[in-house]
Amino acid sequence: MDKVGIVGYYYMKMSPDLIYGRYNLIFETVRGALDSVNLKKKDITTVISATNDYYDGRTISNAYCVEPAGAYLADESKAEMDGAFAAQYGLMRILSGNHKLAVVWGGSTPSCYPYDSAQLYQTDPTFERPTALVNNITAGGFQMRAYMEKYGVSAEDIAKVAVKNRKNAAKNPLANPEAQNANITVDDVLKSDILSDPVTELMYAAPCDGLAAILLAPEKQALKITDEPVWIKGVGSNQDPYYLGDRDLSECKSMEMAAKMAFDGAGITAKDVDFAEIFEQYAHEELILAEAIGLAEKGKANELNSEINGDIPINPSGGAIAGHAPFATGLMRIIEAVKQLQGKADGYQVKDPKVAIATGQIGFCAQNNILYVLEKGGN
Amino acid sequence: MTEQNVVTNKGMVRAEFNFWVGKYMDKFYDNLENKKIVGNMCPKCSDVFVPPRQVCGKCNEKIPLDQNWVDLPDTGTLKNYTITKWKVTERGSRKVKDSVIGMVQIDGSNTAIIYKLSNIDPAEVKTGMKVKIEWNDKTKGEPGDIKGFVKA
Amino acid sequence: MGRQVAIASAGFCEHAVRRSDVSMPEMVKEAIDDCLSKVPSVGIEDIDMFVNGNMPAFEGASIPELWMTDWMGARNKPLMRVTTGGTTGGTVAIAGYYSVAAGLPGVDTVLAVAFEQQSQGDTSVGLSSVALGELTAIQSIGMPLQKMKRLVSAGAAIGIAAYQATNYMRKSKITEEDLARVVVQNRRNAAKNWYTHLKMPNVTIEEVLDTPYISYPLRFGMVCPASDGCCAMLFTTEEKAKDMADIPVYVNGVASVANETGIMGYNAGGGGQLDPSEQLGAQRSAELAFDQAGISFPGKEIDYAEVYAPFPNQELMWVEKLGLFETNTAPEMYANGTTAANGEFPINTSGGVNSTNAIGASAMERPAEAALQIMGKAGNQVPKTVHTSLGHGWGGIINLITMMVMADEPKRKFK
Repeated sequence: MDKVGIVGYYYMKMSPDLIYGRYNLIFETVRGALDSVNLKKKDITTVISATNDYYDGRTISNAYCVEPAGAYLADESKAEMDGAFAAQYGLMRILSGNHKLAVVWGGSTPSCYPYDSAQLYQTDPTFERPTALVNNITAGGFQMRAYMEKYGVSAEDIAKVAVKNRKNAAKNPLANPEAQNANITVDDVLKSDILSDPVTELMYAAPCDGLAAILLAPEKQALKITDEPVWIKGVGSNQDPYYLGDRDLSECKSMEMAAKMAFDGAGITAKDVDFAEIFEQYAHEELILAEAIGLAEKGKANELNSEINGDIPINPSGGAIAGHAPFATGLMRIIEAVKQLQGKADGYQVKDPKVAIATGQIGFCAQNNILYVLEKGGN
Repeated sequence: MTEQNVVTNKGMVRAEFNFWVGKYMDKFYDNLENKKIVGNMCPKCSDVFVPPRQVCGKCNEKIPLDQNWVDLPDTGTLKNYTITKWKVTERGSRKVKDSVIGMVQIDGSNTAIIYKLSNIDPAEVKTGMKVKIEWNDKTKGEPGDIKGFVKA
Repeated sequence: MGRQVAIASAGFCEHAVRRSDVSMPEMVKEAIDDCLSKVPSVGIEDIDMFVNGNMPAFEGASIPELWMTDWMGARNKPLMRVTTGGTTGGTVAIAGYYSVAAGLPGVDTVLAVAFEQQSQGDTSVGLSSVALGELTAIQSIGMPLQKMKRLVSAGAAIGIAAYQATNYMRKSKITEEDLARVVVQNRRNAAKNWYTHLKMPNVTIEEVLDTPYISYPLRFGMVCPASDGCCAMLFTTEEKAKDMADIPVYVNGVASVANETGIMGYNAGGGGQLDPSEQLGAQRSAELAFDQAGISFPGKEIDYAEVYAPFPNQELMWVEKLGLFETNTAPEMYANGTTAANGEFPINTSGGVNSTNAIGASAMERPAEAALQIMGKAGNQVPKTVHTSLGHGWGGIINLITMMVMADEPKRKFK
């Protein structure tokens, strides 16, 4: 695969309720990404947005975002999926040779719409939706129980992941303030309100407002734009069947296959990875996905030392639990991985990383997954 | 910065959606109205689907509309469950009484359907337990005809 | 960087006002089956990646591609979703192109699917949600909604199309008869194409003009229907296409340039695009696509075109804006038979969007039909041999345009 670099990025501090007009939010984010590397509107050749009509409350939401996102008279398209998938589309546009600079942005403001209802619209309208018993809340409960019962992992082990991510979030200046809990304990997590047994509220990546943007460029241009590009060495994506009853929720076959596709393309194995930014919708999902990626054996991810100074740091930024701005979350995982590789994660920096993975997902219980292998560029 | 209502438009926009279920689900719902469960079987791998499907996802094989129908009993096994007080509707999510929601594999099928478990103490629920359908008195040929599952 | 992309096949399902016999996934499977039936050497297991799109608000189903995994044959395969309003089909096709052009390891053959089952929802509600912000802004400055004659800012709604029509008519002096003539050609063409919606083999100009106005100058008999339907296209590499199809079609140019939202602007504060018939986005898209394909004189080098025109004034406008005919000559080209199926430069021989409009699918059906004409496999095949063709789409708030330029020879220049 030809070398494509992530040369710029930006996201503003997440919040449960950003008092921001939507278009100002988009403009500031895209502008922030361009300004960070002194690029101008005229340098943009293509823009890919990642938004969902149900989250924006208007049809064809990207038709209105043309000007704020710098897409005026630029080749523009949209991927109605988590931002990490839109990044793949941006990557494909660069690899095709047709474009020299891609802006990929995505995000939404759940303070303006009922998030759980919008997710309800994803369900099968011919059978599941009328009873509304399959939704993003119950899906988490099913997944956690399946994982715990298969491998004997305890709720405490899973709560430790939530504690780690919330403490990491406290060190991440851009995280959702409600997730920044520096002094949280396993007991706090276990005793918080039940969302859907056995998932508790503090184990859940609660939605919040946010938007993120990244800039992609082919090797030659990337090296002109910045001294420290981060190269996309491999990417893989895959999706599981839709019905929860068809799947073994204690594992994630689609992530296994996505990881294989990405690792094969990059010519590495899971052992070569220095740290991972994984989009985890619930604390237990981080364990399931880490195992699917191959960072640990099945049922043993809780034995990993995944702290920032551990053997294999996972979500040093706090992951999605630190702030889940729907459709921006995958992009933020990519951005946080890039920050780490560039040595710019002040206060939560992993020591000397060279190779990282960043993941995104969409669909209940991580039905559709994407995984990037990122490598530090420059000196 | 204080929030202030600049202009408020109050009104309801009614957007109704009616979904075509297709001929396979048509047959399923006709049977449901008669308080019977039917599924269909993949001609290649013999997996039985409840509710029935046109395509077997594993084999990419089309199941003919007029063949491979399987009559199934009212009983099943609980594969998974969760307990929640959150009810999600089109308007949002709100707290109601705790309910146990189970993933049930009907005996003889290879998929699972998701319904409430009624008349059961949450502490008694265990994966693997045998359950059976509690039908609504009046069935209309819709998913709600199955009121829930009870201990078998 | 990048590699040549070919189209090996394209397929459709039956389009109708109401496909009540199938659920959404089953309708999509019909189109996929039709597409693959034309390339017997390809099975669903040979597909490396899927791209899927439709307009979610018109059917009340968010990201339905996740639901229809098994029906598409996409279990444990990569899948991407693209939705951009009326241009959805076009952008899905373009995404299919990019998925192959990128040359990601393991991704050589891509199936792109675009569909809409509009009968399940209320399209006018779906469209009005586009304009909800504007309606609020209008009320906040005291203008009563009851006095509004046209909704300027809703894609594919008659309001903005009528506004575009009057602007265009002022500049080009076309008559209502010219508009009706375009409709008659499209509907008669559609009668010969198996999957279309409005088949009218004997309709006349008088019959079209004898229908009431909806919004001047557009009459009831001139507007497109709302259809249920699906389209699928198979993209693959140059090498593999040669094994799959007798006449592979090479995608030589793609573009989807966006313009700013017209008149109202994105926050109803006003925009620079005052004349929706000017179409800077279309001109730029055409420039980019033709440049990639090495075409300098589209009017002479292109043999066949499918332009996206739910309303007849747009067909006359697009063929000029895209450089196929000189400005103000389009009406004559329709009157003297140049654009007829057996004419020198056939346009929309499939019947066009004017006869079949499943919103998510129609922008893909344009490049799909244009590709099938090159292959000699179109439903209503033109008699002349087609070497180069183009498929065009528009949507959004008339500010999103897609272009795909194809030929029977690879002409894309790579730097």
